[in-house]
Amino acid sequence: MISFARQLNLIDYSLSSLWRRRGKSLGVMVVFAGVIFLLASFQMTTRALTDAAADLLAYAPEITIQKMTAGRQESIPLEYQEKLSSIWGIRAITPRVWGYYFNEISGANYTILGLDPHSMPLGDQLGQAIDTGALPEAHEVVLGQGVNAEVAGGDKSIFSLFRPDLSLKAFALAGTFKAETNLLTYDTLFMNLDDARDLFAMAEDMATDLCVTVANPSEVSTIAKKIAALLPDTRVVTRQQVQKTYQAVFGWRSGFASICLLTALASFIIFAWDKASGLTPEERKEISVLKIIGWQTSDVLVLRFWEGVIVSLVSFVVGYTLAYIHVSFFEASLFRPILLGWSVLHPALRLRPSVELGETLLILCLTVVPYLAATVIPAWRAAIIPADSALN
Amino acid sequence: MAASLIELEKVCKTYNQDRPNQVRALVDIDLSIAANAMVCLQGASGSGKSTLLSVIGCVFPPTSGRATIAGKALSRMPDRFLTIHRLNTIGFIFQHFNLLPGLTVLENITLPLMPLGVGPGERRERAGRLMAMLSIGHRANFPVSQISGGELQRVAIARALVNDPPIILADEPTAHLDHALSLAFMEIMVDLQQAGKTIILTSHDQLITRHPAVERIIGIEDGKIHVP
Amino acid sequence: MRPSLMLLVFLGLLALTDGALFLHHHQQGIRSAAEADVMKITVAGLGLTDLSLATEARYTRHPAVTDLVVPVMDHPGAIEHFPSGSFWASPVSHP
Repeated sequence: MISFARQLNLIDYSLSSLWRRRGKSLGVMVVFAGVIFLLASFQMTTRALTDAAADLLAYAPEITIQKMTAGRQESIPLEYQEKLSSIWGIRAITPRVWGYYFNEISGANYTILGLDPHSMPLGDQLGQAIDTGALPEAHEVVLGQGVNAEVAGGDKSIFSLFRPDLSLKAFALAGTFKAETNLLTYDTLFMNLDDARDLFAMAEDMATDLCVTVANPSEVSTIAKKIAALLPDTRVVTRQQVQKTYQAVFGWRSGFASICLLTALASFIIFAWDKASGLTPEERKEISVLKIIGWQTSDVLVLRFWEGVIVSLVSFVVGYTLAYIHVSFFEASLFRPILLGWSVLHPALRLRPSVELGETLLILCLTVVPYLAATVIPAWRAAIIPADSALN
Repeated sequence: MAASLIELEKVCKTYNQDRPNQVRALVDIDLSIAANAMVCLQGASGSGKSTLLSVIGCVFPPTSGRATIAGKALSRMPDRFLTIHRLNTIGFIFQHFNLLPGLTVLENITLPLMPLGVGPGERRERAGRLMAMLSIGHRANFPVSQISGGELQRVAIARALVNDPPIILADEPTAHLDHALSLAFMEIMVDLQQAGKTIILTSHDQLITRHPAVERIIGIEDGKIHVP
Repeated sequence: MRPSLMLLVFLGLLALTDGALFLHHHQQGIRSAAEADVMKITVAGLGLTDLSLATEARYTRHPAVTDLVVPVMDHPGAIEHFPSGSFWASPVSHP
């Protein structure tokens, strides 16, 4: 009990000495919390994005076939579907026409998607993703929320898009996607296969790519190999490869920014070392006075230790909390431009940051531990100050 | 067992022993000071006076010889126990008071109570009694940088007394005080002696060396007791 | 109030804040689980391969199924789309 009361006294004393040097202490804490804030926000944003992508892309098409000509992707002839009829295990082949449409007025890029969803997995339930209206019939289109706001102006029921020869093609608005799907459909115009072909002026017997649905998921790679053998002029992309690509993209981006942040971390450690390790003559005198009036060397060390713990842990928790608020409530607004670029159409980023124990511990070890070392080690040197130096 | 509170026998203190810069600060000191005495150590700077004060104050043990302070032999006492013994036995009053600037009067006085684990209520109560006795109670929550020289001196005395040690060591206590404050200081010392404390002063100040309460003057020269 | 008690109160307030954030996180989890079905249907029904986060260039919207030359397909001197374009990794592998 005595030692608990003594620790409480030492904590009291370290708090009051932090308060005495409040300018310096506050400065260190602000910088400390700032570094934690940056590191943690970044980590939470990238993790939330990769998690969201991983969750959703688990349902991406199992196999996508693209025709390659001279190393470039080209439209794929519909007759390729027949060539695949010999492969066992293919449940359905869905030709898709998709591409980009540049709106010169707003400068936004839209994604045009034309397919018959009924042959896609879960395609029969696609109506659930549509807020008002129904699946598009001929000359109809379902719009993502972002496109709807720009093109249809919210209440227009008919609008036109340009064909490549600048003739106009009119569409009737069949409905809009639900706001929950913004992360996927914000820039999307979903229409009939024939309308999409007409808009892009593609030949009747062509599609952009073919989506293949497989009966037995464990056979995906076998079937992909068979397709590649049968159609040597195509690229066969499996779901696994799509997922890998996406993970790599975010992994690479977060890696790049991590390096930038590591620089900040390094300069923080130097700063902290400088602030925490410097013992002014006043501090030396204080230590020698404390020692001669009966404080143990260990008391002086524990005192510095508590100072370090209070500064670093409070900064850590405050920085982490602010980071969570920043990511969760402010859509990681500081990092959005770096992570996402400045596209014209930006869906609201409703991120659900996850706090991973391992990553939190890593940040803790990279910041709190060096800080504690920087405070206690010089105090150790100071504790060797002979007590009788207060006498002269 | 000697009746005296402080008993030094053939005490030597050598700094940097067996090195080229070896200094013999104390040489064969024999000294005994009875309980409840008031004595004054006198010596030029470099005479070994501060070293002697450090040995008596349990700051470090002698290199050789026997030093018994308040019933405990210091020789070969580990630093940890020496500190505990010092905390319980010695009250220090320093030449420049050595109060910690930025701390309040109350905080300065209660510093020696912190490592004992004394809680804030009892700390305030113990310091309160001393502050009332030394009439600085109204200054309790002032930073020491904002009080007068006489008050500083009494804060330093209160800090020396807060653990209720039997021995008070005062190193040149009046060196920076004017005549009136020096007299006031000695009055307090006399009161403390009457309350049963043993008081050891170092000073050149005639006001102390010729003070009627000072019963003995111990001269030190070249690390030896010098009989004037 | 002794300083250590003040620290304790402050840490308590921080803990309360973090507790509230945790509850919010939990609520969000329940809500996003409810939305997960709609998202799943959208991805599977439309055969999507990417999120619509970076849409300023055609090779940033669907990096997984575009090909390596897309960034320079419009014009060899086409202005790069910074920063998304410069951060995009190219498709990992294709048979």
